[in-house]
Amino acid sequence: MFSQVFLNGLFSSSIYCLVSLGLTIILGVMDIADFAQGGLYMLGAFVVFFAAKIWGLPFLFAVGLSILAAVMVGVVNNILVYQPAMKRGANSLIAALGILLIIQNLALLIFGADYQTFQLPFGQKNLEILMGTITVYKGTIVLMACFLVPSVWLFLQKTRIGKAIRAVSQNKEGAAIVGIGSGKVSVFTFSIGASLVGATGAMVAPIYAFDTSFGTDIIVKAFTIVIFGGLGSIRGTIVGALIIGIGENMIAGYLSTEYSNLMTFLLLILILFVRPQGIFGRKAI
Amino acid sequence: MTPVRRNLFLLSFAAVFSLTLPLIFKSSFIQHLLVMSGINIILVMSLDMVLGHAGLISLGHAGFMGIGAYTCTLLVMKFKIPFLGGLLGAMVLSGFFGALIGYPSLRLRGHYFVIVTFICGIIFTLFFTNLVSITKGPMGIPGIPSPKIALGDELAINFKSKIAYYYLVLTFIFLITYVKYRFYHSRMGRALLAIREDEDLGKSVGIYTHAYKVGIFAISTAFAGLAGGLYAHYMRFIGPDSFTMLHSFYFFVMNLVGGSGTIAGPIIGPLLLTVIDELSQFFNPALARILFGLSLILIILYMPKGITGMLQRLVLKREV
Repeated sequence: MFSQVFLNGLFSSSIYCLVSLGLTIILGVMDIADFAQGGLYMLGAFVVFFAAKIWGLPFLFAVGLSILAAVMVGVVNNILVYQPAMKRGANSLIAALGILLIIQNLALLIFGADYQTFQLPFGQKNLEILMGTITVYKGTIVLMACFLVPSVWLFLQKTRIGKAIRAVSQNKEGAAIVGIGSGKVSVFTFSIGASLVGATGAMVAPIYAFDTSFGTDIIVKAFTIVIFGGLGSIRGTIVGALIIGIGENMIAGYLSTEYSNLMTFLLLILILFVRPQGIFGRKAI
Repeated sequence: MTPVRRNLFLLSFAAVFSLTLPLIFKSSFIQHLLVMSGINIILVMSLDMVLGHAGLISLGHAGFMGIGAYTCTLLVMKFKIPFLGGLLGAMVLSGFFGALIGYPSLRLRGHYFVIVTFICGIIFTLFFTNLVSITKGPMGIPGIPSPKIALGDELAINFKSKIAYYYLVLTFIFLITYVKYRFYHSRMGRALLAIREDEDLGKSVGIYTHAYKVGIFAISTAFAGLAGGLYAHYMRFIGPDSFTMLHSFYFFVMNLVGGSGTIAGPIIGPLLLTVIDELSQFFNPALARILFGLSLILIILYMPKGITGMLQRLVLKREV
């Protein structure tokens, strides 16, 4: 029982971690709480559904298409809405919610209100790990998260663009003085975030049934994780995702699924009372 | 006319106009629109207390409205408490949750408070859906009685018809308008204004900003709970679908469209958008929501003071 619950929790955690990673980078660098990423998550799932199930393209290619679509929408949002909003000193978070509303309802008009599902032809075999079982496909997602998260971190630490992103997040004017334009960096950061979210949405599409409000739940959990870990902290995101993902499955497994959302709420209230800037956060007072 | 006299004139005109409205429009659909607008006006007024007065953005007000609606319903139906007592209970409980959430999250600057209210709004909806033993879950609670207010032993007013309910809601709107007006000119109102304009400056002259912010958030959520109670007894049915993040968002758009921080703004915005929203049920709600999203983005970019702000600017221009 325990190892089964633990494995399920590990899977949830890796999904949460991938989604919150993009959010926390965007929040840390651009100071935008991009709720519209929930829309990109849903978009990723729908694109993969149409590409793989309806048009019969190979699954990996379909995932690529999802990432492309998510990045395109994310960058368009950034250029059309966020950058003007920042320039005018308007609240970007409200703009983000406006975009989420538009994306979800455009999708509702185009894709309809039905729940969609599709089965993968491969990866359905069960793996036995320590008396628990997990499908090969889910295991692959966990491994991918284990690979993607450190590589995003390495990317931010080592590459030229990553360093530019960190420079802008630390001091916008300073970065501009040494020749780093915040506009370009902002577009690039959004592409990273959007591709992470779009890819995650695409990868979970064969597992869950989804409709056009698919992204709302996960974006709420992802923001809880971001607050829990400290805005802009990658370490915090990993720890937060593990605690919420595993904790939630523990409660669902041992108590009842009724209370599994309670976990998110309690954790949020608790961390705000005890350590409001998050476990690894800088003090934001 | 001096500005004060003009305001008084406008106010009395609005009061008389709102009193005669349901007598002019006999159609039951328009009366339904009026009651719904009235309930939304109460909610947006409560939201405007935090947004307009203190400059704080709350995106969870539909959740608080839901707490109020469930509390009032359960108190009236299970515990046989009179309607006004139920409303009071609704206000107390939503205000309590407001304080519980406001206390920790208002200590921090930046996006924290908005994100936390947003998350809490959604989590409340999840509670309404999942705590089946209390809220009956997604099935909702049907058959809520129409409110009765007893005046003495023999006499009782039953608010069953739409017109009667309209006047009940209108009474609360007048009451809250008065409270808001007095509040705006009170010590707390001025302190909150200082917080909105410059929090550090407010702190430096000895205003205990955190307490004021938590206080106004608790008051605001209490009024949201009141709107919830009124909503429950008007619709006679409540379910988790009536208090989603989308609704919080609508209220917020209504407030921004009308113009925050004014008396007229929270009345104009809900009137306009409630009509659009209810009419959109006939063709396609998704289109209306896209319109809401677009207008929200355009308003925060180009018209941050809303319709009231625009009107005020026009009037000022003409006078100069």
